[in-house]
Parts: sequence; C-alpha cells; structure tokens
Amino acid sequence: MKTKVVTKNETFKKFKKQYTMHIFVWLGLLFLLIFSVVPMLGIVVAFKEYDIRSGFLGMFTGEFAGFKYFIQFFTDRKFETLLRNTLMISVLKLIFSFPLPIMFAIMLSEMKGNGFKRIVQTVSYLPHFISWVIVTGILFSFFSTTRGVFNEILVNWGIVDEPIPILMEAEYYYGLAVSSEVWKEMGWNAIIYLAAIAGIDPTLYESAHIDGAGRLQRIWYITLPSIKGAISILLILAIGGLLSSANFEQALLLGNSMNISRSEIIEVYVYKKGLGLGRYSFAAAAGLIQSIISFILVLSANTISKKLSNTSLF
Amino acid sequence: MLFFKKKAKNIIKPTLEDRIIDTTIFIFMIIVLVITLYPFYYTIVLSFNEGIDATKGGIYFWPRTFTLDNYKQFLSDASWINAIFVSVAKTVIGTCLCVFFTCMVAYGLSFPGLLFKKYYGIMLLVCMYFSGGLIPYYLTLRALGLLNTFLVYVIPTMFSIYYCLLAVAFFREIPFDLYESATLDGAKDITIYTRIIIPLSKPLMATISLFAAVGQWNAWTDTAFYAPARKELRTLAYLMRDVIMRNQIDTSASNASQMAAAKYSQVTSQSVQMAAMIIAVLPIILVYPFLQKYFVKGVMLGAVKG
Repeated sequence: MKTKVVTKNETFKKFKKQYTMHIFVWLGLLFLLIFSVVPMLGIVVAFKEYDIRSGFLGMFTGEFAGFKYFIQFFTDRKFETLLRNTLMISVLKLIFSFPLPIMFAIMLSEMKGNGFKRIVQTVSYLPHFISWVIVTGILFSFFSTTRGVFNEILVNWGIVDEPIPILMEAEYYYGLAVSSEVWKEMGWNAIIYLAAIAGIDPTLYESAHIDGAGRLQRIWYITLPSIKGAISILLILAIGGLLSSANFEQALLLGNSMNISRSEIIEVYVYKKGLGLGRYSFAAAAGLIQSIISFILVLSANTISKKLSNTSLF
Repeated sequence: MLFFKKKAKNIIKPTLEDRIIDTTIFIFMIIVLVITLYPFYYTIVLSFNEGIDATKGGIYFWPRTFTLDNYKQFLSDASWINAIFVSVAKTVIGTCLCVFFTCMVAYGLSFPGLLFKKYYGIMLLVCMYFSGGLIPYYLTLRALGLLNTFLVYVIPTMFSIYYCLLAVAFFREIPFDLYESATLDGAKDITIYTRIIIPLSKPLMATISLFAAVGQWNAWTDTAFYAPARKELRTLAYLMRDVIMRNQIDTSASNASQMAAAKYSQVTSQSVQMAAMIIAVLPIILVYPFLQKYFVKGVMLGAVKG
C-alpha cells in the first residue's frame, strides 16, 4: 500500500517535470484525432444513407443502410474490371519494380571509382522528386504518335510501319504504368539497399576472395544474404502497400477515355463516384473494400515472412 | 570503396570475370543515365523551339528554330503567374508549419523516460497504418470548413507521422546531458528546444524540409479534390495538369485545331507547356544537389530505425 502511494507520487513528480513535452505530444495527437481518427470513424458513411445536406453529424445519425452499398459495388458492372486492373497493375509493379532497385544497388556498390558512381547515384534519385504531372507531360511528348521522339525513331529506322499508340491504346497501358514507375522510383528505392550493403563487414569479402570466390560468387554468397533482412522487410511493406501501389495519381493522369478499360483502378473510381458525382456512401464502401484487401495482404505477408526468415514488422 | 581500391592496388589483378562485370555495369549505368536525363533534356530543347516548327518533329538534340517566345507567352499569362504565387506561398508556409510542428511533437516523444510513451506510440502506429479513405477525409475537411480555402493546403499537411518517426530517431541521438546541463543553467524547455535542439538538428530539418517542400510544390490533387471551386487558389501543378490533359486530347485528334488556334503566333499550347514544365521543375533541380547529402542520411536513418 505504502509503496503504491510513493510510486503514484513519483509518477506525478515525473509528469510535472516533463509536462511541456506532454503538451507537445498532445498537440500532435490532437491533430491526429481530427485528421486521422475522425475520418476513420467516418467510415460509417459506407453503412448509412448519407446525404451531404445533413452535414457532418449526418454521417453518424443517418439512416442505417447495412451492406447495401457494398453489394452495389460488388455487383457493379465495372467491379471486375476495376479489381482486375488494380491487382494486375500492383502485381506487375511488384514483379518488376521490386527486384530492379536491388540489382541497381548491387551494381552501384560494385562500381569502382567515386566520380562516375556519384553522378549515376545523384541522377538516379532525381525523377523521384519530379511530380507525376511533369512525368506525364514528358511521356506525352515522348510517345506521342504525331511528333514523339520514340515513334519517329522507330518509323525512321524502319522498325515499325505505323507509330505505336502507346498512350492511347488500352493494351499498352500496363506496360506504360509499370515502366514509368520503374523510371521514376528505381534509384530512390535503391537507397535503403545501398545503406544495407555499406554496412557489410569488408573482411567478409576479403576472406572470400582469398578462398578463391569470384566476383559473382561474392555477390551471391555475401552481398545478397547480408541484405536479406532489408529485402524481407521491404517486401512485406511492398505487399502491404500493394493495392495503393497501383498509384492513384498515375492512373488519373495517364488514364484517358481510350485506355480506360485498363487504366481505371478502384481509387480512381472512388474519386469519380464520390467527389465527382456525390455518391459518398457508395464510394466510401468501395474505398473500405480496398483497405480491407490491403490489410489482409499485409497480415499474410507478415506471417509468411515470419515463418520463412524470422523477419516481421509486428 | 576504400576496400576495393586497396584490393585493386595491392592484393590481386582484375580477372577476366572482373573485367566483364565492370564493363557490363559501366554500360548499364550509361544506359540508366541516358534514359533518366534525356527526357528532361528533350523537354528543355522543345521549350526553346518555335511551337509550330516543333510540331513537324525531328528535333532531338538542339532547338531547330531557337526562340524565347514560349517562356514569354508563359510569363505573360496572368493565371500562370497567379499559380506560381499560390504554389510558392503554399510551399513556403506549408513546409515551415510542417517542419516546426512535426519536430516539436517528435521532440516531446523523444524525451528520455517520457511517461505513457507506449500509448502515444500505439496511437501513432494506428494512424500510420489505417485511414478512413478519401470520402470520410473529404467530409471531415468539409465539416471543418477548410474546403476551398488556402488553409486546406497547409493545415492538413502540418503533421506527418513518417517525418515524426524520422525526427524521433534523430533526437534520440542527441545526448541527454545537454538537456540536463541547460536545465541546471536555468533554461526552460522551450528555450532548450529553440536554442539547443533546433541548431543541432540542421541535417534533419533539411531532410524534412526537402520532402515536405517537394510534396507541396508537386501536389495537384489537393487543389482538384479540396479547392476546385476557387480559381485564385489554383497551383502551378494543377494548371499544368489541366494543360497536359488538354494537349493529350489534341494530340489524339489532330494537329489542325492546334495549328488554327496558334495562327497568330509561332507558339502552340504544347510548346508553352514545355516551358511551363521546365519552370515547374527548376526549383527542385536547383535545390536538390545542395540537400542531397542530408536526405540520403535522413532516409537511411529512417530505414535503420523503422
């Protein structure tokens, strides 16, 4: 009993000493409460007959609609296309844009001499800082069928007879989305691997060298196993973010009426129906389904990785 | 690096395998450089070429008919100038608010022996991994009366959990003794924060500033989603997107309409767009090399801790 009182007093004393810090933290939490927690609670609109005129509290007081909007989304004639595009683009991006930065980082770390290496590194980060709007503009001027460099060269060199309508035909969209993503983010995503490689003990390489291991063998038996941890964690993160990696901004900017059958993803649909047409409950329901799928994906990736390599996020 | 140099000099001569690998890497890196840089260069070249002339194609390495008209046209358009002004204001104010507020919260969280730290951490993680999605977020902003105001650009981005965790990892490295000796000298918490912590955290501040500033400068969805009704709030990125989308349709239809529209000048909307793109990218390219050494450290810090 006595000790308890003492601890309580001590806690209070400690708190008194650090109360300014707590105020700092509370301000942050207040921010999260308003801009993060309230929207989370706002998910109820997906289950309500929500009318924008009923204002903010209408989200909570509105008539209960049950799973009506979820069923509407599942039976929407576009549902299959949306799900297919979202999954296909995400998976293709995972397949191509996940291993490439690893490869790039290893190659970069194998380079001798500092000057050229630093130039390549600096240049490779640059596109990460350029907006998708600019990237889209560049893509349009590059691949345009009437005056783009790409098609001009192909036609002039006789590789194709007709310019390839990369931006306008649905069948090219997946390739366009994946390759522009790789172009933009490869160098940036390599940073973490470069850090991991820099942390490898050089004596490992030396002793392997003395034992007669060639360059490739050293990469295979030392570099790769040493960065396995980093690879697993990033893979879990990538799978967790799989659906959002379909990239809303990219899809909205590169999508057009000609390639819509391949470019429209769930998030774009949510935006069009929700903010565009004011079907808030329906759009919220569609958005929630996307979040649920993502959540299941990250949980399963985490479990698998825990079993395989003992690495996990939580 | 040092190791490789030493090895090359002292230990062993490069083998055939080494030479093949080195050459392959060199060629690969050249390709990466060209693919990354040429699109920017091409855009610069087009932005300095006469618009009508450019539609004929065949321009690869330098402008065929050099002109500054595209830039003049761009800078004479009041809506572009206004957009630049909004973008700059949004970037400066948004970045300052974000860095100041996020670092303040992070400093509180990094305080050694902070009570209830576990609960604070849980709330942070929950908010990092879950969100309500676009619609509930929009409705919340609407309820707060932020829609179609300038504040919608800077208030919701004031705090970032990711930057906050980065800052916490950084602050933890600062020795606690500094804090204690300052307290003994009679300094208040706020004084310690502004006079000791902030000056010590320049690399961190530089990293967060760069990320926040680039994010603000590049964002167009905030205009499109939360402030579409007010023309005077349109940003450079948003206008750019408008022009690019319009040009895309033009390209798909025919050049005829565009030619007709540009009858009175040698400028096309496409060529002005190129100039606009260069102007929009310029600040990033100018700032980027100076901050690079900081952000690489910053990203690695986040990677190791998080």
